[in-house]
Amino acid sequence: MIQFLLLLLGLAAIGTAIYVVGRLIYDIVAMFRDRASSDEGDTAVLWRDVKAIGIVAQLVALFAIIGAGTYLWGNFRARTDAIGLKLTFDFLDQPAGITIADNPLIAGDSVSSAIVAGFFNTIRVIMVGIPAALLLGTLVGIARFSSNWIVRKLATGYVEFFRNIPPLVVIVFVWSAVFLNGFPTAQEAWKPLGEWFILSNNRFAIPSIMGQDNFGAFRWILLGALLLAGAVGYWRTKVFDNTGAPHRRVLWAFATFLGIGLIAYLVLGGPVSMSKPMLDDRGRVFSDGFRIQMPFAALTVALVIYTGTHIAEIVRGSIMAVHKGQEEAANALALSTFQRYRFVVLPQAMRVAFPPLISQFLNFSKNSSLAIAIGATETTNIINNLFGQSQPAPQLILILALLYLALSLLLSTIGNLINRKLQIVGR
Amino acid sequence: MAGKDAMYLGDDITAALATDSSPPSTKLSPADWAKKNLFSSGVNSLLTIVVGLAALALLWFGLNWVISADFEIIRANLRIFMIGQFPKEELWRPWTSAYVLILGAGLTTGALARNSHELDLSQEIESHKEGWGSMLRRFWPVLLVSIFFVSFARTLLPFIGLAGAFALIVVAREIGWRMPAAIRERAIFIGVALFIVSMLVIAGTSRLGGYALGLVAFLWMMSELSRVDSLPKGFAGTLIRSGIALVVAAMVAIIQNLIPHDGFGWENWGGLHISLFTAVVGISLGMPFGILLALGRKSDLPVLKTASVIFIEFVRGVPLISLLLFSNLMLPLFLPIDFERPADLTLAIIVITGFSAAYIAEIVRGGLQAVPKGQTEAAQASGMSAASVQRLIVLPQALRAVIPAMVGQFIALFKDTSLLSIIGILEFLRVSDTSNSQQAFVGKGLASVTYLFVAIGYWAFAYTMSKESRRLEAKLGVGHR
Repeated sequence: MIQFLLLLLGLAAIGTAIYVVGRLIYDIVAMFRDRASSDEGDTAVLWRDVKAIGIVAQLVALFAIIGAGTYLWGNFRARTDAIGLKLTFDFLDQPAGITIADNPLIAGDSVSSAIVAGFFNTIRVIMVGIPAALLLGTLVGIARFSSNWIVRKLATGYVEFFRNIPPLVVIVFVWSAVFLNGFPTAQEAWKPLGEWFILSNNRFAIPSIMGQDNFGAFRWILLGALLLAGAVGYWRTKVFDNTGAPHRRVLWAFATFLGIGLIAYLVLGGPVSMSKPMLDDRGRVFSDGFRIQMPFAALTVALVIYTGTHIAEIVRGSIMAVHKGQEEAANALALSTFQRYRFVVLPQAMRVAFPPLISQFLNFSKNSSLAIAIGATETTNIINNLFGQSQPAPQLILILALLYLALSLLLSTIGNLINRKLQIVGR
Repeated sequence: MAGKDAMYLGDDITAALATDSSPPSTKLSPADWAKKNLFSSGVNSLLTIVVGLAALALLWFGLNWVISADFEIIRANLRIFMIGQFPKEELWRPWTSAYVLILGAGLTTGALARNSHELDLSQEIESHKEGWGSMLRRFWPVLLVSIFFVSFARTLLPFIGLAGAFALIVVAREIGWRMPAAIRERAIFIGVALFIVSMLVIAGTSRLGGYALGLVAFLWMMSELSRVDSLPKGFAGTLIRSGIALVVAAMVAIIQNLIPHDGFGWENWGGLHISLFTAVVGISLGMPFGILLALGRKSDLPVLKTASVIFIEFVRGVPLISLLLFSNLMLPLFLPIDFERPADLTLAIIVITGFSAAYIAEIVRGGLQAVPKGQTEAAQASGMSAASVQRLIVLPQALRAVIPAMVGQFIALFKDTSLLSIIGILEFLRVSDTSNSQQAFVGKGLASVTYLFVAIGYWAFAYTMSKESRRLEAKLGVGHR
């Protein structure tokens, strides 16, 4: 994956260079052709021709950039040669020498697999955190219009406090005050249900499922059932649109999924079994079950709290942008507060809110790199650890930037696709 | 209206007209207010009780925690929190610096307020001098938190110092308000010059200080000379003006260097001071680059456009921490081989300048798009050159429209300076880590106390500025046109 991204970067760089130089040459040729073909009186003198000035300015800029780049690259090579740093990407296949908690990775695994493992941890934080922040922010944004004084003031207080402190401070505060010192240590972990629920400042663990015989087939059947459930839901929506009969799509979809899953489970002879978290002799959860490391929980909670304030402000602004008549009409139809927001206000507000929300999602993903301060093993932290394993810094920083660029691009593409769906289709 | 029987339709109106023409009071009795705002319906009552109890529990828990917490760690480290590892016998430097800074801020804001007041009066807009009550409402978080900070001091000196600072800002603002118009017009230059002088009080005279002061002198001279009508117009005039301004700037820089005064460069600074300083420097240095990048992105010259777009999108697409790691690990590698490695903060400021330039570029681009196309066309029609159109017509309007967003960017940058702690610069947040590793406090679980203290510090500045940004937005009428 990393090699692929590097290849893409190289191609993009070459493509851009070809485009820029090509455009420049084309412009120069076009200018001289125009000057040659037009009459003597119509052309300005060369040094007063706007196009010529533009071309000269661009040539100067291009040579300045190339010159500065060559100079800096020369310095860079001299310095890296002096300290014996190789500027190749061979190190990606060397053993990383680090382990990641709750990850099957071993110290002998390659650098690239360690980075990819960290990147997936980043994606996990984002996939949990962004929906949670959206939910919190929307609720708080609505709460600021509540007719209830306490709710309104609390929402305002929350937004005005957390919006104005740095996300890093929120993260370290949540980690040290709530998670590290607020929760019991691993030895005195809170286990109200024995090994069914374990909470300490080290890990949170509950039982999970573990694959047995036929698990591969079962997984594929479940995936098929999920797709079928989606199709059934879509069909019910169509029925509702066409006939007005109650759609009950959620019920239908669930029934489909659970029915197929149950039959497959029985037919395949119990392809999954329960796996309880295993404790080592110091009382720490170390394998099996569903485990969450507390630094990740703290990171996600803190970022949700911080990003929630920004989303709340966006939601508040976009609700104010919905025409007041809409709310009054909803009230005149005697819709409840929930119905008013669910069917009248929010669908219209979301259209206004979505573009700024995308940039908040991007901020969320970029802020997840602050995990480096509390030791959650995501991309930035892994790469920082690799510096400590005397892996080459320049290449690693390039990869770090590239991964976040890819992530930003991915998120904004998804966001823009959703945004296009949300907007009113014009004529 | 209780007595229904004796009254006829219109009686109350007649009575009201006879006695008082003001509208009926909208003030509710406490019971009515509570009914309206807290218990208007069953759901609302339930919400009030549940949320109210939760809030009370949180408050109770928080108060308990604050009362039982040990604030000795803050008392012992207050100086480090404010200005870092500064030698105790040199404390007069930060104090003098703060006073010079406050003097400059007071004079400049007073003068600018008066200027805007005079402008409003000349356009027959109603305008009053802003009272101190209103100022207090605008700046209470910073005032309150600075008192809160000083309350941890062990000696009397910081109390006296803070009281003096409050007195100075009042006096300086009044002087700024009363200054003659000729001086008031130059208030910005005075403010910037005093800002640099205040930094030089700590840092001592240095070549960098000379450059900074020289730059201010150059810009100031250019602005002065542009008022002189006897100089020739056009290219020759510009050449003469820049020549004179350059000579003056060089003289200022040389004089600055001649004054023997050594101090502590910013590699020795720290605490809240460095957080504020980095944010101010980052945004001021980022501004010119950001404007250039925005113009580059908007231009139709492919080389400039591509370079601007690549820079802006790259910087905005990666987290700041990766850029700071770059500054720490890679930036020194680009220097000539016989160069010494600069201080960490110098490297960080270079990167932060580029970082804020990219974000400012996007803000300015928004402003440029908000300027109606007719403005450019009208300017072109009157025969202005492309550079003059941008400089005299488009940019002033675009920049005015983005002032609130720029304040927002400043707040974001101020909050982002907390990331400097990760690359080991002793800024405000990092002091809480270092103080928790001191022998007297290590392993006592006091991190949350110091983090809360730091959070309140950040909050006071950021919240005040965000209120100011909203005020500016309302005042400039951005978004209402």
